[in-house]
Amino acid sequence: MLRYLASRLMQGAVVILLVSIGTFSMMHFIPGDPVDLMVGEAQVTQEQLDMIRRKWGLDRPVHEQYLAWASNMARGDFGQSVIRTGVPVRTMIGEAAVVTAKLNLLAFFISIAIALPMGIAAAVRRYSGFDYAIMVSSTLGLALPNFWIGLMLIVLFSLLLGWLPPFGLPSWKGYIMPVAVIVANQTALLARMMRASTIEGMGEDYVRTARAKGLVERVVVSRHVVRNALLPVVTVIGYRISFLLSGTIVIENVFALPGLGQLFIESVNRVDYQVVQAIVLLLSVLVVLGNLITDMFYGYIDPRIRIG
Amino acid sequence: MSRERDLDQVLRELSPSTRREFLKRAAAMGITAAAAQAMIIKNPTIVTAGPSAKRGGTIRILSHQEVASLSPDDIGPTMQWNMITQIHNALVEVNDNFVIERVLASNYLASKDGLLYTFTLRQGVKFHDGSDFTAADVKYTFEYHMNPDNATIQGVLFKAVDKVETPDKYTVVVKMKEPNAAFLRQAATVFIVPARYHGRIGEKAYKAAPIGTGPFKLKEWRPAEFTVVEAFDQHFRGRPNADFFRQDVVPDPSVRAIALRTGTSDSSAWPLLSEDNLRFEAEPGYTVFRTSSLAVNHFPLNNDHPILSDKRVRQAMMHAIDRQRMIDDVFRGTAVIAHSIFPPALQYWYEKGVKQYPYSPDRARALLEEAGWRMGPGGVRVKDGTRLSFTCAVITGDRARRPQAEIAQQDLAGVGIEMRIVERPVATILSQLPKGELDASLFNWTYNAGGGEPDPSATLRVGAARNFSRFKNQRVEELLPAGLREVDPAKRKKIYSEVQKIVAEEVPFLHIMYWDWFIIFGRRIKGLPTSTQSGSTLIRDAYKWWIE
Repeated sequence: MLRYLASRLMQGAVVILLVSIGTFSMMHFIPGDPVDLMVGEAQVTQEQLDMIRRKWGLDRPVHEQYLAWASNMARGDFGQSVIRTGVPVRTMIGEAAVVTAKLNLLAFFISIAIALPMGIAAAVRRYSGFDYAIMVSSTLGLALPNFWIGLMLIVLFSLLLGWLPPFGLPSWKGYIMPVAVIVANQTALLARMMRASTIEGMGEDYVRTARAKGLVERVVVSRHVVRNALLPVVTVIGYRISFLLSGTIVIENVFALPGLGQLFIESVNRVDYQVVQAIVLLLSVLVVLGNLITDMFYGYIDPRIRIG
Repeated sequence: MSRERDLDQVLRELSPSTRREFLKRAAAMGITAAAAQAMIIKNPTIVTAGPSAKRGGTIRILSHQEVASLSPDDIGPTMQWNMITQIHNALVEVNDNFVIERVLASNYLASKDGLLYTFTLRQGVKFHDGSDFTAADVKYTFEYHMNPDNATIQGVLFKAVDKVETPDKYTVVVKMKEPNAAFLRQAATVFIVPARYHGRIGEKAYKAAPIGTGPFKLKEWRPAEFTVVEAFDQHFRGRPNADFFRQDVVPDPSVRAIALRTGTSDSSAWPLLSEDNLRFEAEPGYTVFRTSSLAVNHFPLNNDHPILSDKRVRQAMMHAIDRQRMIDDVFRGTAVIAHSIFPPALQYWYEKGVKQYPYSPDRARALLEEAGWRMGPGGVRVKDGTRLSFTCAVITGDRARRPQAEIAQQDLAGVGIEMRIVERPVATILSQLPKGELDASLFNWTYNAGGGEPDPSATLRVGAARNFSRFKNQRVEELLPAGLREVDPAKRKKIYSEVQKIVAEEVPFLHIMYWDWFIIFGRRIKGLPTSTQSGSTLIRDAYKWWIE
C-alpha cells in the first residue's frame, strides 16, 4: 500500500512539473505582456516601456524567467504580480481562495444534503408526480445558464423585494444568492445521478433476493440499493472537489465576489504571468490530490477495486 | 463663456494686493502684463461646505475592475484614478471643464520663453500623517520621476525638465531643457507624495499605503472588492462633507444598474449598458451627466500592409461604413460621428474644417476602381491577383464592439472588401499592432494627451509606442515637436489644426465615433455642478458633495 502511495505521489509530482512548464510556456507564447496594459493610455515612449520591462525582468530569456520562477515557487515564494505590484501573489491568492472555498463548500454540502434524498425518493416513486417534478426542475437547473439565474435572483430579491444585497459580501446575506445558484446547478446534477443509479440498483438480483427474504421495502432500499448506488455518485463528488476553487467564475463575476475565478480570468486577460501560473499550479496540485483521495476512498468502500 | 472673458473675471476677483504683486513679479521676469494675464488660469473659490451642506455618511460609487494600486504613478486606469485622486493633490489640477486649477500651488508664473516655471506653494498644508507639505516634497516627487532607474510610468512627462530648485520652503522653480507647452497640464498635475515617507518605505510599499494631502485618507483597501477612504479633518480646503468615500468593484453592468436603483450605491464611475443609461436619463430623481468621451472609437489599420497602405483604400472604407447606423443599432444613439482625432469636447483645439467622409458606397466604389481594384469572384475585388481582403482582430469577449465589427464587415462587403474578424486578448493587440503584426483592430483610444492637452505625439509619431497604425507623415513629424515647443496657445492651435486636417485626409485609421460618457448619480448626492464637460473627472470633486 505504501509503495502504491509513493508511486502515485511521484506520478503526481511529474504531472505538476509538466503542468507548470506547460502553463509557463503557454503564457509566454501569448504575444504581449502586462506592461502594455499597466501603462494604459498614459503618454509613454518605447524606450520607457523597455525600461519598465527591464525593471520587471520581462526582458530576460524565457528559460531564465522560468528557472527563477520555479526556484521561487519551490521555496514557497509565489512571486509578484506585475499589475498589483504592492501585494505578494501569495496574499492575492490566499484572500481570493478563501472566498471561493467558503462559497463552494457551503454549496457543496447543501447540495449533497438535498440531492441524495431527492434522487432516491424520485427513483423509489418512479413515474410519479414527485418524480416528474424532480426531473423537470433538475433539467432546468442544468440547462439554465448560471449568470441568468443569478441575475434573475438579483432582480427578484434585491430590486423587487429588497431583501438581499445586490452584490458583494457585506454580511452573511451576501452568500445566499450565489450559494443558491451553485446549489441549483449541483443539486440538479447529483439528484439525476442518484436517481439513475438507484433505479439501476433496484433491478439487481441481490435486491430481488432481499425482497424474497421478506425485508420491508424501506430496509431493502436503504441497506442494499443505496449503498451500492452511491458508488458512481461518490466518483462524481470526488471529481467535483478538485473544482471547488475554480468552478465559479461566472457566479463570482455576476455577484462581484473577489474570488479565485475572478482573479484568474482577470489575470489571464492582462497576461499577469505570475498570478496565472501560481493559480494553475495550485489547482493542479488540488486535482492530483483530489484524484488520489478519491481513489483511496474508493478502495476503502469497494474492496473489489483495491490494488495490491 | 469665452476664454478671454473668463480670464478677465478671474483677474477682477483677485484681491488688489495679489494682483499687483503678480504683475510686479511678472515684470521682473520680463513678461508683459498682457502675457501675464493670459497665464493666470482660474483659481476656484474654495467651497466645500455650502450653507445647506450636510455632514456625515458614506458616498458609495461603483467601478468595474479591481483597484490594483493606490500610487499616483498607477493613475492611468479609471478605477484607480477615482481613488488616488481623493488621497492626493498636485500643484495644479485640471478640472472637469479642462480648466487648470491652482491646488497645492497658490500661484505660478511661466517665463515667456517657456523655460522657467515658478510655483509659490500654499502654506499650512498637511499630509495625512500630520507632517507639513513643503517644496522638498515637490522636488522629491519630480526628481523621483526624472530618475530613469525608477522607470516610472509618468517619467516621460518630465523629459523636458532640466532641474528642480527650491530657493525657499514654499517656492519651487522648474528649469526646462527646452520649452514644453504640455508641462503645466502634464508634469505639474502629477500628484505629490511626502518625500520623507515615500523615501523611507519605497514605491512598492507606497502602492498599498499612500499618504497624501487630499481630502480623504486611506481607511481600507481590498483591491478586488472595495476601497474606502475617510475624511481628512486637516485638509487645507476644509474637511469634506461626507465621512467616507467608498468604491465597490462590480464587473457586471446590469448589476451596477440594479445597485444604483436599489440605492445600494450612489453612482457608477464606469458606464452601464446603453439602455440602462438612457432609462436613468429619462427618470426624474437621478442626476445624469452625458459628456463626450475623449477617446475615439476606431479601427487602427496597418499602414505598411500591402493593401491598406493605399490611402484611397482607407478613404473608400470610411465612405463605405454607415457610421450612423452603427451608432443607432449598437449604441442606441449614445455616440457622435467622429470627424477628427480630437473630440468635439476638446473645444479649444477641435478643428471643424477637416475632410469629412459621409456614408456613400458609390464614392467608396469609385475610389476603389480608381485604385485599380476590380470586382472579382465571390464579390471580393482583385488587383494583380491579390484579393482585397484583410483581418480585423477584436478584443476577446468584447461584447460591445464585436457587433460593431460585424456591421463594418457587412458594409465593407457591400463595396467588395473582405474583412475577416478574429478575437485576440487586449494585451496581444496592444503589443502587436505597433509592430505591424496585425492588419487591423477595433477599440477606443485617446489621440490627445488628456486633461485638455492636445499633443498626440505618443500615438502619431514614427516609432511611437502607441502608433497603432504605423502612421508615417513627414509634415506631422515636423509639426508635433513644434507644437510642444510653442507656448503661445493661439499659435499652437494653428499647428494642431493642421495636424487634424492631415490625419483626416490620410485616414491612417478609420475614425468612427465618440461614445457618450454617462455618469449617473442617485437621489442622495447633492452639491453636484449644473453642467460639466468631462463626467469622468467629476469624481475628483467628491469632497464637495454631501448626502441628503
